[in-house]
Amino acid sequence: MSCQGDGPSEQGSNSVGPCTSSSSETDSKSGDVITVTIGATVPTGFEHTAAEEVKEKIGVAARISKDRGRIYFPITTDKLFQVHLLRSVDNLFVVVEEYDHYQFKQSKEETLLELQQLASKLPWTNALEVWKLNGTLKKKKGHRKGGNTTKVKPNRNTTEVAAADTEQQLHQVASAAEGQLEAESAADAEPCEQDSQEAAPEAKVIKFRVTCNRAGDKHSFSSNEAARDFGGAVQEFFQWKADMTKFDIEVLLNIHNEEMVIGIALTEESLHRRNISHFGPTTLRSTLCYGMLRLCKPQASDVILDPMCGTGAIPLEGAIEFSSSFYIAGDNNDMAVNRTVNNICHIQKRRADKDRISGLPIDTVQWDLCSLPIRTSSVDIIITDMPFGKRMGSKKKNWDLYPLCLREMARVCRPGSGKAVLLTQDKKCFAKAISRMGGLWRKLHTVWVNVGGLHAGVYLLKRTGAVFGQTPEDVHERSVPQWKRHFQC
Amino acid sequence: MKLLTHNMLTSHVKGVTKGYPLLIKATEVKVNEVEFNPQFVSRMIPKLEWGALVHAAEELGHRQDLPGELVQDFEKNEDFLKKVHRVLLEVEVIEGCLQCPESGREFPISKGIPNMLLNEDEV
Repeated sequence: MSCQGDGPSEQGSNSVGPCTSSSSETDSKSGDVITVTIGATVPTGFEHTAAEEVKEKIGVAARISKDRGRIYFPITTDKLFQVHLLRSVDNLFVVVEEYDHYQFKQSKEETLLELQQLASKLPWTNALEVWKLNGTLKKKKGHRKGGNTTKVKPNRNTTEVAAADTEQQLHQVASAAEGQLEAESAADAEPCEQDSQEAAPEAKVIKFRVTCNRAGDKHSFSSNEAARDFGGAVQEFFQWKADMTKFDIEVLLNIHNEEMVIGIALTEESLHRRNISHFGPTTLRSTLCYGMLRLCKPQASDVILDPMCGTGAIPLEGAIEFSSSFYIAGDNNDMAVNRTVNNICHIQKRRADKDRISGLPIDTVQWDLCSLPIRTSSVDIIITDMPFGKRMGSKKKNWDLYPLCLREMARVCRPGSGKAVLLTQDKKCFAKAISRMGGLWRKLHTVWVNVGGLHAGVYLLKRTGAVFGQTPEDVHERSVPQWKRHFQC
Repeated sequence: MKLLTHNMLTSHVKGVTKGYPLLIKATEVKVNEVEFNPQFVSRMIPKLEWGALVHAAEELGHRQDLPGELVQDFEKNEDFLKKVHRVLLEVEVIEGCLQCPESGREFPISKGIPNMLLNEDEV
């Protein structure tokens, strides 16, 4: 299958990769392999971690966008299923066209007109092929009941399994033979025509919508206006039907200052809640959990503790993705430990349903983290989401909690080799607490992230070689009376 | 509760100095298959309190023929590693309790979760 008349747009500085034919036949029956650029949204702050994962699992170098929270990388269509194995990405899209320095016109009218004219000039073909191929990857799992899933509200205690189903789909896709994929795309292959009426093999009308994200202070237009006008032109060009809720294709228009990217979404809902079926009030998204875990590089036989596990999101992601370590999830709250166990059981049952060995290297304990019932120096890594004091606990409680926490964590952590990865929004309190622990903890690295709209820090700490109880701070601490704390979760 | 976890748990009742290992009284035990990773097991063994592990396995009736002392060159003995794997990760106490060997204080285990919270007066 060769691409006819579908060269890169003259305005583009970075155009989509060339149409390469892997077949020597001139007939368009076999599924040719093409190279496209994939864009992925990742938790801000973890762009490098995500790029590392792409390098490891797909074997290509990813580019980190100036627009934070996005990375881009090339992929060939025969390897497309691999993108669904990535654990650090929230959403995926295929790039239609990218502009590094798009010169927007001065007036709103001229700019919007130009956007409309752009619609018919873009190299849609490859991106649409990939969208179609991606659709067959998803179909392999069988249709989810109820179509598009509604987002689960964090404060609802429902057993929402839709997010879990997404993961199931993707995992099964990953184990499907590549050969089968190629056979399917061959069946769907059509000649590349720029003015193609329909992208799908079925004769039904395609429904679409345009989502525009705009950032920058020199634009004369709003994201709504851009979406509306661009969308109108796209509709005109393809004769698709616009539908805001039940769409087949989601066209993305991302504008960040002079950078403009047009793409087609490959994920219909965010992948970030994949493991959790039993939510709590502050459940962390799995992509953020994965990023934190990668930061501490779990090794085989590492004992990894989450002493404030909430619904168990972090240790559960670890038990699945870094399974040669052992995870102990703990919390003082009844609901939290029950939810953790339910989440673990849910994943294990899903694995058993797929005839996989279901047991995971994870356990749950109910405990008070200021007085952990754990042997001294027996833990390799401590990883946790510390209470922010906004959605859980309070800022005043944090002043007392943080130092006690850090000390108890230092006690159980192996001197010299132990590490901690701690997420907190209460940066001031954390900085104060850690400044008094120089003998026990050393700051290695900090990643600034965004959690539910709050600016937070992920601190990577190293446990010093000092023996607990013998540093100057410890001597001081012994003279300060301790009192029991109750935390209402 | 898996026995690997038990191997790390200790009593923290105020005043107790010999709170390890906790005694296990189990009323329900399950065995769940977990994928065998020989590297995990061989690297974990040096981190364990071996005697406590064997004693705990015995308390549950799952010791099978684990030796009281570690054999030499266990890293290459796959049979041995598989036995240890089973006892560390696959045997689980679902209902029962853990008991502090010094104070006698019992910590209940329910739905596989040991509750190690102390009361106000015990801290």
